Amino acid sequence: MKRLLPFLACASFAFLIGCGQSSSTPPPGTAPAGKKLSIALLPKSKGNQYFVTVRKGADKAAAELGVELLFDGPTNTDPAKQNEIVENWITLGVDVIAAACENREGIATALKKAQAKGIKVLTYDSDTMPDARSFFVNQATAQGIGYTLMDTAAKLCGEEGEFAIITATLTAANMNEWRKNIEARLKEKYPKMKLVDTKPCDDQKDKAQQETANLLGAYPDLKCVMAICSPAVPGAAEAVKQAGKAGKVKVLGLGLPNENKAYVKSDVTQAVILWKVEDLGYLTLHAATALAKGDLKPGATSFKAGPLGELKIEGTDILLGQPFVFTKDNIDQFDF
Amino acid sequence: MIFLVAELIIFSAFGRNFLTADNLSNIVRHSTEIGLLALVMMPVILTGGIDLSVGSLLGLCAVLFGTMVQDAGLPPLVAGGITLLIGGLAGGFNALLITRVRLPALIVTLGTFSLFRGLAEAITKGTATYSKFPESFLALGSATFMGLPVQAWIFIVIAMVVWLLVHRTTFGRSWRAIGFSPEGARYAGLPVERRIAFAHVMAGIVAALAAIILTARVTQARAEAGTGYELLAITAVVLGGTSIFGGTGSVHGTLLGVASIAVLTNGLSRIPSIMGVSRELSGVLTGALLIFALSSGVLMKFLSERRARRQTSRNPSTTSNA
Amino acid sequence: MSRYIRELSVVAGLGLILAALSFFAPAFFAPAPLLSRLAAEVPALVVALGMAVVMIGRHIDISVGSIFGLTAVLCGTLLANKVPLLLVVPLAIVAGATLGTLNGWLVAGLGLPSIVVTLATMVTGRELLSLWQQGRFITLPNGVQWFGLSQTAGQWTLLIIALLLVTLLAWASRRLSAGRFVYAVGSDPEAARLAGIRPGAVTFGSFVLLGALVGFAAVLNLVQSPQVDPKAGGGLELKAIAAAVIGGVAVTGGRGRLWGVFLGLLLLTTINPALTYLHVEAYWEKAIQGTVILLAVEADRFQGKGAAK
Repeated sequence: MKRLLPFLACASFAFLIGCGQSSSTPPPGTAPAGKKLSIALLPKSKGNQYFVTVRKGADKAAAELGVELLFDGPTNTDPAKQNEIVENWITLGVDVIAAACENREGIATALKKAQAKGIKVLTYDSDTMPDARSFFVNQATAQGIGYTLMDTAAKLCGEEGEFAIITATLTAANMNEWRKNIEARLKEKYPKMKLVDTKPCDDQKDKAQQETANLLGAYPDLKCVMAICSPAVPGAAEAVKQAGKAGKVKVLGLGLPNENKAYVKSDVTQAVILWKVEDLGYLTLHAATALAKGDLKPGATSFKAGPLGELKIEGTDILLGQPFVFTKDNIDQFDF
Repeated sequence: MIFLVAELIIFSAFGRNFLTADNLSNIVRHSTEIGLLALVMMPVILTGGIDLSVGSLLGLCAVLFGTMVQDAGLPPLVAGGITLLIGGLAGGFNALLITRVRLPALIVTLGTFSLFRGLAEAITKGTATYSKFPESFLALGSATFMGLPVQAWIFIVIAMVVWLLVHRTTFGRSWRAIGFSPEGARYAGLPVERRIAFAHVMAGIVAALAAIILTARVTQARAEAGTGYELLAITAVVLGGTSIFGGTGSVHGTLLGVASIAVLTNGLSRIPSIMGVSRELSGVLTGALLIFALSSGVLMKFLSERRARRQTSRNPSTTSNA
Repeated sequence: MSRYIRELSVVAGLGLILAALSFFAPAFFAPAPLLSRLAAEVPALVVALGMAVVMIGRHIDISVGSIFGLTAVLCGTLLANKVPLLLVVPLAIVAGATLGTLNGWLVAGLGLPSIVVTLATMVTGRELLSLWQQGRFITLPNGVQWFGLSQTAGQWTLLIIALLLVTLLAWASRRLSAGRFVYAVGSDPEAARLAGIRPGAVTFGSFVLLGALVGFAAVLNLVQSPQVDPKAGGGLELKAIAAAVIGGVAVTGGRGRLWGVFLGLLLLTTINPALTYLHVEAYWEKAIQGTVILLAVEADRFQGKGAAK
């Protein structure tokens, strides 16, 4: 009997799947009018302040719009996880899926499957293949980020001198995209500036601090450190401060205002660049709701998202606007 | 078993759309790769060894398969065959170091754990991904056959093969004997090295198979594929009652272990109140579950030994009475 | 002299790198940055010493990164809630030791394989941390950084603590009976048992010691910056194991000296900045580090064979 049990279990499992084929989940989107819309928000990874802030904005919008928000994502870099979560959501019966895609091509299959089941799909933060979603909530293009970083750095250094980059890992796809654009802008506009080194910090603040300290020693003429992953910005600033070079070596980067406030106010870090992350979550939820209700249709050229006002749509990209530069003068107005 | 039933009851009660056909087929699809790894991890653990490299090998095989199909333009069937061969060779490499160079399996596979992942990252330079696969191949990951997902059939076949090997052939018996006492097995005339090597080669081949199935399901091959799978596979095996020291265990127990883990992860993400933190929670629970399974195995053994001792000590007294 | 061949070869390797640096990049030896670099590696050294003890005792602990992260976040939270640093230091050590006790109990008490146990505790700890902190930084109050001293004084304090700790542990491992027990258990647990040593107690003790050292290391790391990153400690296990292996600790237990570990870590952590100073591209970093570690393991095999003959 004991030996039979597992087979019975397997058989019943198979049976459940087999007979269930006919009585599959009710098609979403046709939910009775009284039921709340449920919108699923997929971050690239969890345990990351950036997406925690996105969620904060999304939560706010969900409360205002009276929709249900599901938030789930992978906790590591396993590329299969995002697909699994989307497939889970399909069977869970959500109305809209909004995804920040780690794998442009990889996730497309799962998203198309969702579309085939009548679930509306849009992407935010980073896009998938265009045919796998209706809209992309675009906070800033790789070009926008790269150019803004390079232009700000050039302005800080007076358009000449050496600078170095701290990145998360040498393999991170989105950061490599930004680096490409930084270098393109450099070549095109700032012949007197020179990128001397690019160091990885494994997404850790302390490692960024050590790498920056090494760079400061190795390149005594260094004029600027550009940190393009968020933990690296305070790390680089701390190294510059400890080396007694605050102000002499400029620090800028892509990061969250809260983590950098102290350095920005004491003039160690000159500029922190990021879009208003909370608005990104807020806008995504608004777009998702409008999409589900049929208020946002393909071909629209603008979209009104509550207090954010009228936003432009280019093709199928809903534009949040240009990256925002946080400086000493305005950083106190933000809390994320 | 009890654990699995409890999970099913809890998640059906509190989870949303948990006991639907689509979701069950999701669970099956998502756990095939880990299930395959657990199935072949089981004989390795049965011999008293361990293989920490299977997850990394999965990543390496996925990447190799990707390059062969996309860059070399090989048809998936040929590329798949070569991938399986490479998996077998990699398993053989582990086996060689363990049986010939006589290093502990732990240390060898900890080394190849980094080596295989490192190779995968070197081939892709960390960034390249492979996603141009023919539709017919992708069916392996998403189509159904006679009501079951295609990969479930593959899984069932492998499960039956492993079950027969472990429970119905001399292989299984010699694996147990080796796990129980390698020296004793050697004195009994068993080809200890060859049997251990066989288990590792099988693990390599099946890890390669899992890589192909994963690639078909995700429609993309990346160097990070299979990260952390070795831990899940070990957890499933130990949870299924196989002793981490080798010697005892069953394949059907392992299957139950796989099902428990798969249901746990899926079910947690369906309970509305904890949905937001379900991934972290299932990570924590999986680790805790492994620790619990490991220690309960030892405690159970301890208790049964004590009971056996008490019985033997009681028996003489009864005979003396007579 | 041949007893010290491993230490000498590490010193030779280190000398070679330093010589190259003094020739091509003398800026490497500028005192202030050098001091910062050394101070920054103090936490890793403290962890590597504990790791070496566990490895000499024939075990391994890959959960140190998680213990480090958990203790760091715990201390950061306490400090941010105005608990004085003086109280937090012993608490950190206790917290680390408690986590070490869990590992030690599972490994020594139940006789489970250390790698599987610590793999499980590593994952559990890491996920707990992300559940708890969600990647949030903790800002520390003023007066915590550098123990409230000036930067230079703080860095010297760290270095002195590190040197005292190496000396103490190296002395204890050789001269105290507890230290010698670790070697005895590591080279042959059965023989040690017959000699009247309780291998379980020794193993348990080594894990608790490692936990306590990791907890302490977390504080030594925390005082070097005004914010705590919950991801700190990622990859620490590999660094500590590598330092121990380069320094001559045998992965099979029973062999290795703590001064060797000190040198091993020094060599390992010189490579990375040296490459920066020599203007080598970062792509080569991991490959070069890996080669050094492989060389050390390979050398170990020959050394082991030599010792066996």
